[in-house]
Amino acid sequence: MISKFHVLPKQGMGHATRMMRQLRCFSTPPKYNEGLRRSTGALAALSLGVGVCLGLYISYVPHSSKQVFPLASITPLHELNPPQYGSEEDLKNCIIEIQKIIGDNSVADSEAEIDHHTDNGFNPSKPLPHQKPRYVIYPESTEDVSHIMQIINKYSIPVVPYSGGTALEGHTYSTRPGIVLNTSRMNKILQVNVDDLDAVVQAGVGWQQLNEHLSKQKDMENLMLGCDCGPGAHICGMVSTNASGIGATRYGSMASNVISIKAVLADGTVIKTKQRPRKSSAGYNLTGLLVGSEGTLAVVTEVVVKLQVKPAYEAAAVVQFPSVNDCTRSMASFFKSGLPLNAVELLDSDMMRCINYSDLVTKKFENMPTLFIKIGGLNRIIVEEYIKEVKSISQANHCSSFEFARSAEEAEELFSARKNALYMMLDYGFNEISPDAKMWITDCAVPLSRLASTLEQLNEMMKEYPMQHMVLGHGDANLHYDIFYTPDQYEMCREAVDRMAKLTIANEGTCSGEHGIGAGKRALLETELGEDTISMMRKLKLALDPKRLLNPDKVFKTDPLDENTK
Amino acid sequence: MWRLNVGCSQALKRSVRRLPKESRFFNSYAKPLAHGKPSWKSWAPIGGLIIGSAAGASLGLFGWDIRNDEFASVTTLGELESPRYCQDKGKFDEAITKLKEILKNDPECYSISKADLDSHSDSYFGTHHATEEQRPRIVLFPHNTQDVSEILKICHEYSIPVIPFSGGTSLEGHFLPTRIGCTVMVDLSKYMNKILQLDKLDLDVEVQAGVPWEDLNDYLNEQNLLFGCDPGPGAQIGGCIANSCSGTNAYRYGTMKENVVNITAVLADGTIIKTKKRPRKSSAGYNLNGLLIGSEGTLAVVTEATVKCHVRPVKETVAVGSFPSVGAAAACTSRIIQEGIQLNAMELLDDNMMQIVNKSGATYKTDWVEAPTLFFKIGGRNDNIISEVVGEVKRIAEKHGCHKFEFAKDDDEKLELWEARKVALWSVINEGKAKDSNINVWTTDVAVPLSQFSKVIEATKKELKDSGLQSAIVGHAGDGNFHSFILYNNQERSKTSKIVDNMVQRAIDAEGTCTGEHGVGIGKRKFLLEELGEAPVDLMRRLKMAMDPKRILNPDKIFKIDPEDREE
Repeated sequence: MISKFHVLPKQGMGHATRMMRQLRCFSTPPKYNEGLRRSTGALAALSLGVGVCLGLYISYVPHSSKQVFPLASITPLHELNPPQYGSEEDLKNCIIEIQKIIGDNSVADSEAEIDHHTDNGFNPSKPLPHQKPRYVIYPESTEDVSHIMQIINKYSIPVVPYSGGTALEGHTYSTRPGIVLNTSRMNKILQVNVDDLDAVVQAGVGWQQLNEHLSKQKDMENLMLGCDCGPGAHICGMVSTNASGIGATRYGSMASNVISIKAVLADGTVIKTKQRPRKSSAGYNLTGLLVGSEGTLAVVTEVVVKLQVKPAYEAAAVVQFPSVNDCTRSMASFFKSGLPLNAVELLDSDMMRCINYSDLVTKKFENMPTLFIKIGGLNRIIVEEYIKEVKSISQANHCSSFEFARSAEEAEELFSARKNALYMMLDYGFNEISPDAKMWITDCAVPLSRLASTLEQLNEMMKEYPMQHMVLGHGDANLHYDIFYTPDQYEMCREAVDRMAKLTIANEGTCSGEHGIGAGKRALLETELGEDTISMMRKLKLALDPKRLLNPDKVFKTDPLDENTK
Repeated sequence: MWRLNVGCSQALKRSVRRLPKESRFFNSYAKPLAHGKPSWKSWAPIGGLIIGSAAGASLGLFGWDIRNDEFASVTTLGELESPRYCQDKGKFDEAITKLKEILKNDPECYSISKADLDSHSDSYFGTHHATEEQRPRIVLFPHNTQDVSEILKICHEYSIPVIPFSGGTSLEGHFLPTRIGCTVMVDLSKYMNKILQLDKLDLDVEVQAGVPWEDLNDYLNEQNLLFGCDPGPGAQIGGCIANSCSGTNAYRYGTMKENVVNITAVLADGTIIKTKKRPRKSSAGYNLNGLLIGSEGTLAVVTEATVKCHVRPVKETVAVGSFPSVGAAAACTSRIIQEGIQLNAMELLDDNMMQIVNKSGATYKTDWVEAPTLFFKIGGRNDNIISEVVGEVKRIAEKHGCHKFEFAKDDDEKLELWEARKVALWSVINEGKAKDSNINVWTTDVAVPLSQFSKVIEATKKELKDSGLQSAIVGHAGDGNFHSFILYNNQERSKTSKIVDNMVQRAIDAEGTCTGEHGVGIGKRKFLLEELGEAPVDLMRRLKMAMDPKRILNPDKIFKIDPEDREE
């Protein structure tokens, strides 16, 4: 009894733990004593009395001091005990109670469902064989989620919030077999406030769904969401990983595009971080805290997102350069001169070869480093002024060709080459490298001035490896250095990716510009930010989710017994 | 409550279930004790103690106090006990000695002069003023992050409240030393005011917390860059971050939340953290930048930050249009935003404000139309682009009844025009002081969704007009954020406070917020509760308790942390 209780988290240590720890002191072996034996009866009675007082005192002390937390501002991993989750029986009871609330149809445990929620196939590192969810549940409202979290909390069952399932770093792995909470049925667009330029949507609304909805309404067709990450992503997942995409250069990442979040905390408490003001200084920035928390602090159920007005007139340009260096220099000049570009995308010559290889676009390009640029403005006159400047900067940096779309369709097609890059790469890998070739998608970001040198260093490093790779970069100096590998090259590729991230970090960058940390980049995050900063995050995690139920083991370690090196 | 009850009984049940297995634990102890088995009697006292403790503890757990749920995600005020700060004189003096030692006993690095203590407790502009007793015991002037860390270690050890201070321009009593007789003020403005490194290519600049934003902006302007936020004059970066400040530029460049790349901060126990390196964007780990921005010095002391710079518009002009009503002006700004016209600023000044501008003679002309007026800052790459945009803006303005649309003919005029907006608060105060030297000013702000902007302003204007108090309204129309400046004498304080209450209430009812850029401090705590409800504030309190368990960092601000706190 004692040892098991001892496994409760030290953090948030309350009566039960304290009581038991205290108890353990008293359970140390007694010294054999003659006198003791003689007055056993009396002593037993006395100690019973003392015990009652002591017990009361112990259970009362934490209340009277009401210090819920240890006194430090950070929680190093070694200070924690392993989390303790509910038993098999607890899980069963938990599911029975949940079924009572949301019905049998909303709880699934068929093999297909379980497999589908185990891994999406894009993650380079696979979950371990036992890392499968046991049940998948589909809530349909914030109230459902709140009830479910109360029950889950009661039985201490690990839970992984899930929606679009497009995350790339094992964010949705069930490291502790438990429940997957799939919010994809919460897919209603609740309100579009055209005059306020915002929309209230449920967690499971896809960004494409929202944009499509807007484009079909008469007075909303000029509005859109500022972030355009990978296809299939849902709003809550985008909030969770602070997603961005091509549009981020102009509109910022999710952190700049969310007005308010409704979320359910680990104990079932429902919070709404704000109403709908465009800006606010009222209290802690809970919206900011939840954006990027990867489902480890709360389950996002509803979001108010900003809508951006599409540029009244937009042109696209494709500029090819003899070297990547010329590309990055041009990018730097664009930004330094303050040109308001809507998107700048960098594709290296390997990527261009892949695009040319694909039959998804009719247009052919040279196999040269290329910039895809979107230029928006009020009208044609203004946009043409911008194009002139873009062109002169490009020429100053030795561009070999400068092409711009003469119609909206042409612009669309030019950019589709960029937008479909992922599928083209997968295609290429399948046909040209090996049918079981996989792609390792990396995601690093550096300060703009370091972009050129980082790329050079990365290329130099990759020469040591026999694997093919392609580079895609966003205008905010966020690079996807994507590597093809066959299953037997997995370890080698992993090593390369690891070195790559460390190189980025050494260049004052980050190991993740938009994909997040998940289960795959925890060690790198620690390399990037240092132990104390991670320990502060851990402190926040344990304050909000003392039982460590929400998406366990993601972003950073929360279990000292966790020996995974990633 | 039932949740907790069940939670605990679950825990107990589980442990009971496991009892047989663990009994081995006891056996292993029993072995080396004696050659024979110890009799049951020798176990009795221990058993008694254990059973008794268990019984007592369960009584305590279930019977008497079940409020404190260690597995909750929020912390209610009721479950806390008052913080215990250092009240022992000897201990306090000991701490002060140590604090001075950290600063090498250099008398330039600390102060207990009355003037310093006074200026670090209150300001004329504040809506809430310190009492005579509410003074810090000492003001410290650290040199670097390491100093601040050492100071906090001592304050943490001795449980001494610490208030970080930089520009001291906040308006809601943010740095008011509520904890009498034991507060230490850490002023970063004296020595930690250096611009450390500008990276022109990366468009970011590393600064210490005590750098005034205007100094930074002047410095950047020389490089043809600018700082994205323009709060009140005198504000410094540390405070800008603490309050998530913004200003007239926010509509174009965002608030502080969008303008910070990384923060170096010292936590309550002295731990130094740096939230990021210098990537332009990042999804790596929790958004600690986001958490610290707007935390008003209650979670950490910000000591350094890297902030973004923006490229100055090649060309910029200012246009001014007057409108028949605030509603018409607001509708005009909405339309401009709807059409996707990106201006650099859109500021609304009401008729009272324009009257004061005329009277004060702060600008080159004194014959402004005394009607609600919009000031537009229009930037662009060249004259062609600017004239295109001006044309569009003019077209929309005229559609909304604008009867006089003019724009600056040259740079001087442009500066002067904009000056009229920047000096608004001072003009109002001067106007008031001319009439009554004891006059006070109440400066407050709210923000609402764009569609509610004109409605909320109109209602507030009407109430202000009916009250007979002299007042003016200026608004950052692009963000739905506006300020009221209300002049009042001592007898009129409660009347003024009532008007502010109503204004905030209106904003909250319109799905807005009780403050768009000033922050909560001590003056708007009750409004925050009203705006968000209990649960989000309890979550904030949870975060506070986690990061600062002794509650030493800027106590009593944003929300209550002491159940004995009787202030509103």
